[in-house]
Amino acid sequence: MAQPLLQARGIVKHYGHVEALRGCDFDVYPNEIVALIGDNGAGKSTLIKILAGSEQADEGEITLEGRRIHVGSPFEAMRLGIETVYQDLALAPDLDGSANLYLGRELMRPGLLGRLGFLDNGAMRAGARQAFGELGVDLQNAQSAVANLSGGQRQSVAVARSVAWASKVVFLDEPTAALGVVQTGRVLETVRRIRERGVAAVLISHNMRQVLEVADRIEVMRLGRRVARFEGKKATIEQLVSAMTGGIAEEGAA
Amino acid sequence: MTALTPGRARAIRLAIAVRLEPLAERWRAFSATRGGGLVARTLGTNAAWIFLLLVALMVIFDILAPGKFLTEFNVRTMAENVSVLLVIAVGETFVMATGGIDLSVGYVLLFSGVTSAQVMNWGGHDPTDSGWDVVLLGLVVALGSGLAWGVLNGLVVAKAKVPPLIATLGTLGMSWGLAEILSNGQDLRYLPRIIGDMGAGRVFDEVPYVVVVAALVAVVGAVMLNMTRFGRYTLAIGSNQEAARRAGINVDRHLIKVYAMSGMLAGFAAFMSLAIFTTTTISGHANDNLQAIAAVVIGGTSLVGGVATVVGTTIGVCIPMVLFSGFTILGYQSFWRDVAVGAVLILAVYADQMRRRRRERS
Amino acid sequence: MRIRNLAAVGLVLFTVGACSSSATTAPNNGSPAKAYNLTLIQGVAGDPFYVTMACGAQAEAAKEGVNLTVTGGNKWDATVQKPVIDSVTAAHPDGVMVAPDDSKALLDPLKSMSDAGIKVTFVDTKLDDTSFAVSSIATDNLAGGTLAAKTLAQLIGDKGTVLVVNVDPGISTTDARVKGFQDEMKNHPNITVLDVQYTHDDPTAATTITTSTLAAHPDLAGVFATNVQNAEGVAAGLKQAGNTTVKTIAFDAGPKQIEDLNAGIVQGLIAQDPYGIGVAGVQQTVLALKGEATTATIQTQLAAITKDNVNDPSIQKYLYKASCS
Repeated sequence: MAQPLLQARGIVKHYGHVEALRGCDFDVYPNEIVALIGDNGAGKSTLIKILAGSEQADEGEITLEGRRIHVGSPFEAMRLGIETVYQDLALAPDLDGSANLYLGRELMRPGLLGRLGFLDNGAMRAGARQAFGELGVDLQNAQSAVANLSGGQRQSVAVARSVAWASKVVFLDEPTAALGVVQTGRVLETVRRIRERGVAAVLISHNMRQVLEVADRIEVMRLGRRVARFEGKKATIEQLVSAMTGGIAEEGAA
Repeated sequence: MTALTPGRARAIRLAIAVRLEPLAERWRAFSATRGGGLVARTLGTNAAWIFLLLVALMVIFDILAPGKFLTEFNVRTMAENVSVLLVIAVGETFVMATGGIDLSVGYVLLFSGVTSAQVMNWGGHDPTDSGWDVVLLGLVVALGSGLAWGVLNGLVVAKAKVPPLIATLGTLGMSWGLAEILSNGQDLRYLPRIIGDMGAGRVFDEVPYVVVVAALVAVVGAVMLNMTRFGRYTLAIGSNQEAARRAGINVDRHLIKVYAMSGMLAGFAAFMSLAIFTTTTISGHANDNLQAIAAVVIGGTSLVGGVATVVGTTIGVCIPMVLFSGFTILGYQSFWRDVAVGAVLILAVYADQMRRRRRERS
Repeated sequence: MRIRNLAAVGLVLFTVGACSSSATTAPNNGSPAKAYNLTLIQGVAGDPFYVTMACGAQAEAAKEGVNLTVTGGNKWDATVQKPVIDSVTAAHPDGVMVAPDDSKALLDPLKSMSDAGIKVTFVDTKLDDTSFAVSSIATDNLAGGTLAAKTLAQLIGDKGTVLVVNVDPGISTTDARVKGFQDEMKNHPNITVLDVQYTHDDPTAATTITTSTLAAHPDLAGVFATNVQNAEGVAAGLKQAGNTTVKTIAFDAGPKQIEDLNAGIVQGLIAQDPYGIGVAGVQQTVLALKGEATTATIQTQLAAITKDNVNDPSIQKYLYKASCS
């Protein structure tokens, strides 16, 4: 197999007396969608937070493209090409799609105007049209505030934002948790297109069927460590569930 | 008259919709164009409705008091009398856009007026004939005083994480108290003649300088809010502070800048007030903060931030003044004015709430 | 022959002259004199002093057959009164009686009013510059302060510490009262006058100042409150502190002050004659409108009211009302 894009080895994290992660491993390969699943309390969110820079590991190492890295903050993660779509989306509801897409990374007018702080709204709207188009996100009114969009569209905007800026990995934490069937389908389609852009996606989800539908690989966590890895095409729900709940004690490829 | 059954009502609605459909189609096509979209969006904004309200009020007062309300004199003095408040309200717009609030503005204004007047009176001699250098020094001191209080507000809100309501309530008290101490409770009534001339002077003998200056501040404010990164960050922070932070925006530093701006504008307003009244008016400005907030809210800026408009604030500042002047000219008791302004304020907040609720439902 | 003609012409001229002058000097007869529009701009609306002034003005306006509008800001604040003045100017009455909230800051707007052809009369307070005014009618506030000092000195046995609770510096009326008080107290060597305290016309501030001064000077003998709002606040402060020994002299005799006087909370009231000021204001303005001679300065009377004389009929007219009915 090719070299992992992002790799974590032996991650340990305590919150007071609670050991959230006890020597957890993780691998993401380029151009793939890998799902990270596990029961509540398995440590999925904690692992993601550490890899995305919101939290720091107590022990363990992380490598990106073979290089050892330290992700000290979310900004460092962004600089390394790692983006995250949070469960609460982190969109500014009153701003429109393009404003949210470029939030923090606005395009400025050329020359003196730009130095004075003037935004290039035209360029940003054009860029947004392209970015959303590539990911199949259809906003009827591109200048409407994001709060006016449906839940699924908002989710897609958040995903599109991460994909637009990520050069390496996108973490998606329960992206379809609050969505209906049709909207879930749209978001998953957007997630698939991430792969087409050469970026890897890590999907945390509780929805087994969704995971099987979309993921290339599945990594299962339990009680703070990785307990199983599966090929997306070949796994069954029973295998996943039993890995999550302790049916398989050690790592094993399916 | 035949009864209006639900079936009948539906039929009537359908008939109307069918007839209006071509018009609706044409409107959609128009909105899709670039210019048309701009028109559509402008009409949809709160500012447009508030403007209509302002025009309606002026027409009503003109009808009720012909030849008295819409005179050059009255329009000019109304504009003059809102100019100081408008400058403060522009600053308040930015603060409220971040979801915060600045209650200290009127008293920071007082403080800045006192320090400015005292500096211009330095040396003990009569400042009446002092030159531009003294006046400019007074302006710098006024701006600096306001800026200092603004930065303090920003630090307390951003770094100490004190809620803006409480933080600015604190600076309100401190700036007022310090103003009293510095001035010994006495108005300073001697200022360079140049300042008084500026306060009374007019462009082309028509438009008072203070109105022009206030309008300039509003224009710069509007441009900043809508077209610059500073404005966008302000709105983003108000819309979702956590999202802004995660997007890499230095929220703390930006909040300090916004409150600093509000303070500095209060300092500038202080200088304008010195020009108009030629005294420090220590007993005044007590309600400036609430009037500014009312103007900002009437204008369509949201109480919880994320949505803001300087154009709206400008109109929002005018509505209470129009009511004030109209009611006074008509001879109504002063308290009815306050009732009317209060009612408009409540309606404005209600409209904002309705808008939000409609949005949340979708 | 010539003398008879001369006498006849003279008689005719005299008769014509007499008839025409009687037409202009008998407005009370309801003869077709112009019904002037007057406006009274109070210093602050709702204050019993200015309400009483409005009552007097309204009574006199009815007598003279002129229309009167009463208006004012809801705070004693020059920045609030300026828009009122400007709007009244826009409404263009024939004459305005005004109590300016600041003797300098409102010069420009009132000058504009006068320049617009409106007759301006100062009632109670005035500007530093009275050159364009028809008349300035006020209480002799200096004498009022002197009277207050004398009365208070008497009440406290001519010795002890006294406190002065004032409104804001820069208000011509209260400044004069304090000056009169302080100057008179120089003649009473055994009385110490503390630094003047300012309340911005806020009764709650007066209450706080009273209770804190009592705490700092338990031997406080007397208080002089320079207007109605301050008097109310001081009385509340003394009540709060449960104090019955401090003697209070207050300026102005509003309904609450009379109650306090009768209840023994306040020991003396210096009453102005706001009703009289209102009457004189209308009179002078109408005279000016008719082109007749006016009096530049009119000083109205004061009275010292104590529990002993509060029910005298001659004193009754000095008591302020909360409403005109």
